[in-house]
Amino acid sequence: MEAPLAWYIAGPLIGLIVPLLLLIREKQFGISSSYRYIWALMTPKISYFNYKRGQDQWQIHFALGLILSGLLATQFLELAITETEYDYQKIAHSVYELDKAWIYLVGGIFVGFGARYANGCTAGHCIMGVSQFAKSSILATIAFFAGGSIATHVINPLIFKL
Amino acid sequence: MILGFFFGTILIYSQAFSWYRIQEMFHFHSFHMFGLLFSAIGTAALSLFLIKKFGIRSINKNTVVVHPKKLEWKANLFGGLIFGLGWGISGACSAPVFILVGFKWQIGLFLLAGALIGTLIFGLIEPKIPKA
Repeated sequence: MEAPLAWYIAGPLIGLIVPLLLLIREKQFGISSSYRYIWALMTPKISYFNYKRGQDQWQIHFALGLILSGLLATQFLELAITETEYDYQKIAHSVYELDKAWIYLVGGIFVGFGARYANGCTAGHCIMGVSQFAKSSILATIAFFAGGSIATHVINPLIFKL
Repeated sequence: MILGFFFGTILIYSQAFSWYRIQEMFHFHSFHMFGLLFSAIGTAALSLFLIKKFGIRSINKNTVVVHPKKLEWKANLFGGLIFGLGWGISGACSAPVFILVGFKWQIGLFLLAGALIGTLIFGLIEPKIPKA
């Protein structure tokens, strides 16, 4: 696999999205509210989805940009890991195969539910929230990493048969 | 949409959207993801500081105000743990879900369906959920 773009270039570029969004669209960085917006369009009868959805509409545009970036990358990028020092590296070439689709469906359910419960995800809490030194976001970020560690060390060895 | 495309492209070329990099991060086998997150947060914090200090206005000439999210400890903690579990299992958080819809739709659509189902479940039981 080719080396990734260095963190000291990619990280600041990601960080710059925060001021760009504020200055251009007057929006705080976040993405998971796009899921809530989609349900607000379809099932506004549920009280949680009956909200001022217009405030989150921009996230749908943002999400379309994300999908496009993924589509374009399929033309240029191959995600094959060649290192085999660790168990997760050995299976890295096959993690996105279709027989594991159920894992992604379940993982996705946790991501969607957790993001709404925590009131934000890696973008809205880790990056936008922590950069404001918000207590809620610092706590959520610690919880994200705690949950992720449990998944990686306890659950993944079972479901990916590492 | 342009910013989304920009964000997605960086996540792809830094490989932050891949299952592999997320596993590597949670195993502490590489500094890559930590450096990425810390430098992103640092850049964002510095930008917010400069916007405030110099009173920089948006392109519509409005004052830029940011609202920290309200602390609701049960929500932030338990929601965060659940989100983290999903992140660790699938190797994708909310933005990479969309990237994978484009990059590997066979898997991405399952992720997106999951995220939408999870959001719907939360919406249905939200009135009964302890938050603060």
